[in-house]
Amino acid sequence: MRVMTRMRNDDQLGTAAELLALLGDTATEERRDVQLDALTLAVAADLPVLLWGEPGIGKTAGLTQLAADLGLPLTTVIASVHEPSDFAGLPVVGDDPAVRGVPMAPPDWAVRLVEAGRGLLFLDELSTAPPAVQAALLRLVLERRVGALTLPPGVRIVAAANPRGSAADGWELSPPLANRFVHLRWTHDAAVVVRGLGGVWPRAVLPRLDRARLPEAVAYARRAVQAFLTARPGLVHRLPGADQARGGAWPSPRSWDMALRLIAFATAAGTSREVLSMLVRGTVGDGPGLELLAGLDRLDLPGPETLLADPAGAPLPERGDLRQAVLDSVISAVRDRPTRERWDAAWALLARAAETGPPDLVVVPATTLAALRREEWDVPALIDRLAGTVSLSRRAVAA
Amino acid sequence: MDLEKLYAARLHAVRERPYLAAALFALHVVESPATPTMAVDRHWRCYVSPAFVDRRTVPDLAGVWVHEVSHLLRDHHGRGDAYAAEHGVDGPGERLRMNIAADAEINDDVYDAALPMPPDAVRPESLGLEAGEVMEFYLRRFTFGARTQPFAWLDCGSGADGGARPWDLGPAGARGLTTEERDAVRFRVAHGIVGAPGDAPDGWKRWAEQVFHPPQPWRELLGSAVRSAASAAGVGEDYTYQRPGRRATSLPGVVLPALRRRPPSVCVVVDTSASVSDRELGSALLEVTAIGRALGGRRDLVTVMSCDATVATVGRFCRERDIPLVGGGGTDMRAGVAAALERRPDVIVLLTDGQTPWPSARPAARTVVGLFPRPSEKWVATPPWARVVRVGG
Repeated sequence: MRVMTRMRNDDQLGTAAELLALLGDTATEERRDVQLDALTLAVAADLPVLLWGEPGIGKTAGLTQLAADLGLPLTTVIASVHEPSDFAGLPVVGDDPAVRGVPMAPPDWAVRLVEAGRGLLFLDELSTAPPAVQAALLRLVLERRVGALTLPPGVRIVAAANPRGSAADGWELSPPLANRFVHLRWTHDAAVVVRGLGGVWPRAVLPRLDRARLPEAVAYARRAVQAFLTARPGLVHRLPGADQARGGAWPSPRSWDMALRLIAFATAAGTSREVLSMLVRGTVGDGPGLELLAGLDRLDLPGPETLLADPAGAPLPERGDLRQAVLDSVISAVRDRPTRERWDAAWALLARAAETGPPDLVVVPATTLAALRREEWDVPALIDRLAGTVSLSRRAVAA
Repeated sequence: MDLEKLYAARLHAVRERPYLAAALFALHVVESPATPTMAVDRHWRCYVSPAFVDRRTVPDLAGVWVHEVSHLLRDHHGRGDAYAAEHGVDGPGERLRMNIAADAEINDDVYDAALPMPPDAVRPESLGLEAGEVMEFYLRRFTFGARTQPFAWLDCGSGADGGARPWDLGPAGARGLTTEERDAVRFRVAHGIVGAPGDAPDGWKRWAEQVFHPPQPWRELLGSAVRSAASAAGVGEDYTYQRPGRRATSLPGVVLPALRRRPPSVCVVVDTSASVSDRELGSALLEVTAIGRALGGRRDLVTVMSCDATVATVGRFCRERDIPLVGGGGTDMRAGVAAALERRPDVIVLLTDGQTPWPSARPAARTVVGLFPRPSEKWVATPPWARVVRVGG
């Protein structure tokens, strides 16, 4: 009789296991997800990433998924339950410490990582780790050393932290540690979660780097960061002062170097500007990051000399504000070197702009250009094409 | 549609409000007879009713241009969504309330002689509320009634409150701006205002300073300042090699550090001069003592003393709400800090309005200053050795 009951129970458990297996059987699909793209790009660029997100949002699940997609074994280390010696190495006293020194023995997970030669190291709950543990982690993140071991280059480091507001007993991340990470805000997208619960989760795809574009990407990234920091030397190094920036990204030579690497990777992979924006802002902070991106936008716009050389064919940006910026740059180029040919070319360009887009943004550049006229220069014939702009300007003045 | 008139109005707006030029030019015009007047969506498209353009004068339309772009620059759709999520309210009625509150926030500095205010514009006064506040403030303080009856037709589109509209082209539609592009436009406008604040009204200057550094709730900041001061290296809970760890017994020959916990002691010095209001003081004090208790877990580790020109009472705080604070008149925080240091605390918290002389040298304890800024005082000197949190609001 007792045997019978046990059999039935075993059966019940077996059935439960089957049900669990069915529930765990989910598919993945390729889906453009900005934060997942940003994370994979940073992992590909071999920069340590720090995910900030509320508890229960699926940071760990996302990481598990990422490791599976990239085919890397995942090692999770919950920072807040470890002691500093677990990261700095355990001092093992040998026979003759005065002569041989005291070796720092690494923990088993580090040994396994080194043996595997590749893997994803996930440091969870970083912000709740005590200060001494954070200090020990510095060396792991920066020098990739655990005790006497050096992690091989195939190991990528990702950490997660809860924002200050929701951390139960959060210590602030110290600025030196914060400076070594690319900070990404991890939010859940309700649509993705709903679809995932229906059985289909998004899949991370490693960015496809275009081998032919590598030298160009490096040159572009260097030019961008160099040009920007030449103009804004004050941003080369600025410790976080404002309260809200503490524990977040801030600009320093190290983080600029990281930003440069990210720009090069994003350029070589042809990722969207949105992903790059997320990464750069998470590396050097919101303000400097946005300024750098504004500089990139300017680099991407057609230069004034290109436009003056070919006013009929050179591409004009569609967006009104960018178009206005380009026209302004053309007018200042003419002002710097006023010749008859350049002046005429600028008129041709303005006429084209007035015909292919909103005419109101042509008014101010046209007024400025008219004021640059020399006595011996005749008004070009194509000025008639700007007649609509002139009447529009009159209506605005009459207002 | 009389596009020329509409663009002439935009040009007029740009001439009158040059600091908004980049944002105004970034808007993409969509002709939309279904829209009552002019409306924007979160992708920076501007839907315009041809009939509306015919009805209004160029200066009136210019005012509407500035009004609509203000909604987008100030992220009213994002803030509306956040409000809806936080309070669990949503629906056409609630979104209309958001639109009205958002209008009340921006209308106080949109209009002037060159851009006349429409007679039917929402102003804080028309809701019976004070001017110069933000959308969230107004939302908490008015309901539909006779006052709001005139605004029932109001519709600035999904860009003003986050609620979807039937005429919206949606994210997949043509010529919309991505999140990153929207941020970039906001940044350029803010950067221009901060760089050359010449003629921008105060409301816009404030916006420009805060748009990428939103002020955080001071309770959180004060809490985190006290917490990080109390949990810094050498204070409270940390690892130390001074004593062997408990696990060392099982690992002969291995030296392990031990976790040692010494509850931090916090000393709060309260400025009781006449310049700090009791309500502010009470809330800040509650906050700090609660944190002190949570950290130390023992009541006797939090001391509160009141300080004006001299240090009056020193009370171990026993019941949170019952701390005798006496004082009034001038303040001298030097006396307060000196008295606090006699108790050898780990952390000193000074709650003051900053109208006081400060000690010249760094005290021998981590110091956090909770500053109650007075509206009249734009700027007060604070010591460089303290972490300052502006309290209030």
